Amino acid sequence: MRPILLQGHERSLTQIKYGHSFWGLEFGDLLFSTAKDHVVCAWYSVNGERVGTYNGHVGALWTVDIDPTTTILATGGADNTIRLWDVRAGKQLKMWEFPTAVKRVEFSEDGTLLLAVTEQRMGHLGTVVVFPITVDVEAEQVDDPSFTITFRESKATVAAWGYLNKYIITGHEDGRVSQYDGKTGELIRDVQAHELDMQITDIDMAPDRTYFITCSKDKTAKILDVNELKVLKTYVTDTPLNTAALTPKKDFIILGGGQEARDVTTTSQRQGKFEARFYHKIFEDEIGRVKGHFGPLNTIAVHPRGVGYASGGEDGYVRVHHFDRQYFDFAYEVEKMKG
Amino acid sequence: MPDPASSRPNWADDEEFDDPSVLPPQQVINNPDGTKTVITYRFNDNGKKVKTTRKIRTTIVKEHVNPRVAERKEWAKFGAEKGHSRGPDLSTTSVGENITFRPSTNWKTTSKEDNAEESKLKDQLKDKKVTCRICRGDHFTARCPFKDTLPPLDDAAAPGAEESPAADGAGATGAIGGSGGGSYVAPHLRGKKGAGESMPGSGSYKDRDDLATLRVTNVSELAEEGDLRDMFERFGRVTRVFLAKDRDTGRAKGFAFISYVDRSDAARACERMDGFGFKHLILRVEFAKRS
Repeated sequence: MRPILLQGHERSLTQIKYGHSFWGLEFGDLLFSTAKDHVVCAWYSVNGERVGTYNGHVGALWTVDIDPTTTILATGGADNTIRLWDVRAGKQLKMWEFPTAVKRVEFSEDGTLLLAVTEQRMGHLGTVVVFPITVDVEAEQVDDPSFTITFRESKATVAAWGYLNKYIITGHEDGRVSQYDGKTGELIRDVQAHELDMQITDIDMAPDRTYFITCSKDKTAKILDVNELKVLKTYVTDTPLNTAALTPKKDFIILGGGQEARDVTTTSQRQGKFEARFYHKIFEDEIGRVKGHFGPLNTIAVHPRGVGYASGGEDGYVRVHHFDRQYFDFAYEVEKMKG
Repeated sequence: MPDPASSRPNWADDEEFDDPSVLPPQQVINNPDGTKTVITYRFNDNGKKVKTTRKIRTTIVKEHVNPRVAERKEWAKFGAEKGHSRGPDLSTTSVGENITFRPSTNWKTTSKEDNAEESKLKDQLKDKKVTCRICRGDHFTARCPFKDTLPPLDDAAAPGAEESPAADGAGATGAIGGSGGGSYVAPHLRGKKGAGESMPGSGSYKDRDDLATLRVTNVSELAEEGDLRDMFERFGRVTRVFLAKDRDTGRAKGFAFISYVDRSDAARACERMDGFGFKHLILRVEFAKRS
């Protein structure tokens, strides 16, 4: 496969998102990327053409998400704001200000709720805030969150919605995974999923949002179920992980990482382990790697139809891959027998 | 009075000769097989004119997409891309090198072998320590306190040890003869069997009896292995027919090897078939030489 290189950013990538699936219609024709250079870019995933940029943020951007109808884009960054954008026109619709940086935003399955993770800094505790959203570019959005979850112990680094907005799942700096009620924000469950004091760096929900994958600096990725927070699968690697993604269509997962960005200059590219690693979701075996980046991988997003994936690295490039036949043909002997 | 014919450009004033700094325009030729040939000219870094000929086949793939996706395809650009035309912009989008990605169940084992060499070298170097060439101390030679006062140890020992390298050399070749040496040995130095012999492992291939093998040259391009087999089987049992073929065109390269079970059959065939006319060419048959 021949990757498409997107060079729209001048600094390291922080998050990539494909346009979501909506009521079972899987789109994925648009790709959104954020980097530390204050600009959000929108691309056509099929040919890598840049559709436009969303300008307005005045700090590094940490996160982006798109509502299921591809109408509203939410971004959050180190300028302590969440901004909503009109996807089509690139116009800013709304801005919420916070005392600290916004590390993660995510729309709920139906696009009517938005959660955001804010940083713990300068005496402010880390929080998760939830806003109701009206999915219409003309509509006036509310000013205040419907509720706030405050973390007294360890701050949350990532968060995601469970199925039917029933739960909010958070991943924490100390390796814990917690489950909160999606309506009230009460803590329901708490599990030490990853090693103690190893930060959880990414979370990715399965398409039906009944299970999710987390990855951590402890060099492992785990699949947990949303209801019980039971660890279903564990994938062991040899490098700190920054990102994990589940692939639709095939039972694979993609992990990305590499050693800490600050150590990159002291090691060679080969030792740096800057590859996207493919594991079999069920057998937990590594089945291949894809090279290409010059720095650690910060984010991986898989096309909602499972036909390709995009990875963003510390090197400032987005690489969009469209899978070959071999990828789809690959199956374990047992899997072949079943079919 | 100007003649209408003279206003036409003379063939001798072809653009080639007009001005060397002007590039000929791009040419597009539509080939009968549906492809396009595009010829473009440019100057390279050395100021030389470069002609690039590209053959392009356009394949149109039709895809049915959701109307919402189709509508998004038509969006006007915004932000930093405002006003730009449709299609990927080379400044932001480029195509990377081809990556072969083949998922496999034994991915781990295959990649481990790659690292084995590297780790071996590391192990070897692990115990290495810095030694001074002058006093054998635990420091670099340049830092040696006796640098200016003592000659290097190797120099001092050299006259006495002069014999030993030669002896070592002989020993080394001996060791290689027994195929125990680790380093590279040129093929003609390997083993005691002489030229052309290679490592014992591949013996089954190389030890094949060349005594009953004929080399046939001046074979027609259109020849097939079957034709040769039919012709040469008349003289005895043929164990192998090898016809060298071009990898790209699949046509014969013009020579072949025929192996017989019996050398006497081979000799007879050699005698009878040398000078035999085959597909408009006269075959030349001789015993294959060991190379």
